Amino acid sequence: MRNKTLVVGCGRLGAAIAAEASVKGGNVVIVDKNAVSFDRLSDTFSGYKIVADLTDIAALEDLGPKDFKEAVISTGNDNLNLFIANVLEKVYEVPHIYVRFDDPDKSLLLKGYSNIMPIYPFELSHANYLKLKSEAAKK
Amino acid sequence: MKIVIAGGTHDAEYLVQMFNTRKNKLIVINNDPVESNLILKREKVAVYTGDPWRYYVLEESGSKNADILVSLLDNDVDNYATCILAKNCFGIKKCICVVNNPRNVELYKTLGIDTVVSATYLLGQTVKSESSVEDLIKTLSIENDKIIMVEVPVLAKYAIAGKKIMDIKFPKYASISCIYRDPTVVIPNGQVELKVRDKLLLVCAPEDEKKLRAFITKEKED
Repeated sequence: MRNKTLVVGCGRLGAAIAAEASVKGGNVVIVDKNAVSFDRLSDTFSGYKIVADLTDIAALEDLGPKDFKEAVISTGNDNLNLFIANVLEKVYEVPHIYVRFDDPDKSLLLKGYSNIMPIYPFELSHANYLKLKSEAAKK
Repeated sequence: MKIVIAGGTHDAEYLVQMFNTRKNKLIVINNDPVESNLILKREKVAVYTGDPWRYYVLEESGSKNADILVSLLDNDVDNYATCILAKNCFGIKKCICVVNNPRNVELYKTLGIDTVVSATYLLGQTVKSESSVEDLIKTLSIENDKIIMVEVPVLAKYAIAGKKIMDIKFPKYASISCIYRDPTVVIPNGQVELKVRDKLLLVCAPEDEKKLRAFITKEKED
């Protein structure tokens, strides 16, 4: 049954999202290739912490990817994020996939993938800067 | 042909040597400045230094509409991203992706990359075909495993030996494309008799290979 949330990459963003989902009662699995990264997780997190390198498809299979209803992918490697997102949609048909990309050009590679929702910190920062600037100009 | 060689060390140099002829236009991209310099010095070709999975790198290096791109980076996912970018945004006709993990061969193909090469995978395939030489049957796959060609010698103990093709009820899912009867090649028809030591070249779909082998190697009942 699809009832789990997968979070890949336990950085600041991954850790925050995983903790939130867990507090709300979600069934959360967080994966990082370094066990040390899990130190970032708050004590309220009650899901599974798994040390694995998802460049290897076998590691992804071990997680039981058919049980995921959503996935949040935010490792520091754009190419890895792209690959995991593509596999989760094409092979395991995960319905909601949120992916962070540092390089906004990655949007060009998501044609034909309707379940993947990209997040670009660059664009968010840029939009925020413009907003703050226009507010400052009004003062 | 316009060929893009992305990443790599000695393997990239080898390919540059092989394809750096007047007929080809080579575009060499390397993400390591040291390696870029080495290739430039040894092979006397221009090398663009940059990460080939980035849009601007493929754009500025002039890779658009190339015939072939070979991605030789160390990391499987980097090769994946490079090939997908080349395919989706630059109209590159054939992308060849080199991977370390043999399990990625099938996976990358399902994700849309034309050709995926893994040394370990090839090694496995070689071992497989060498081990079936033991029973003298060789298999060759064509069109990404959609068609296979099987080479079988006719042994005296086989039920089909010494019979005409029209008499052996040859199965519909396969065909005998030719018969090698040293030193000549015989084009088969119903009247041709299968002789001992003939080599049959058979074509069929991979899922029928086992059935076909079983049919051909069925022994005479006495």
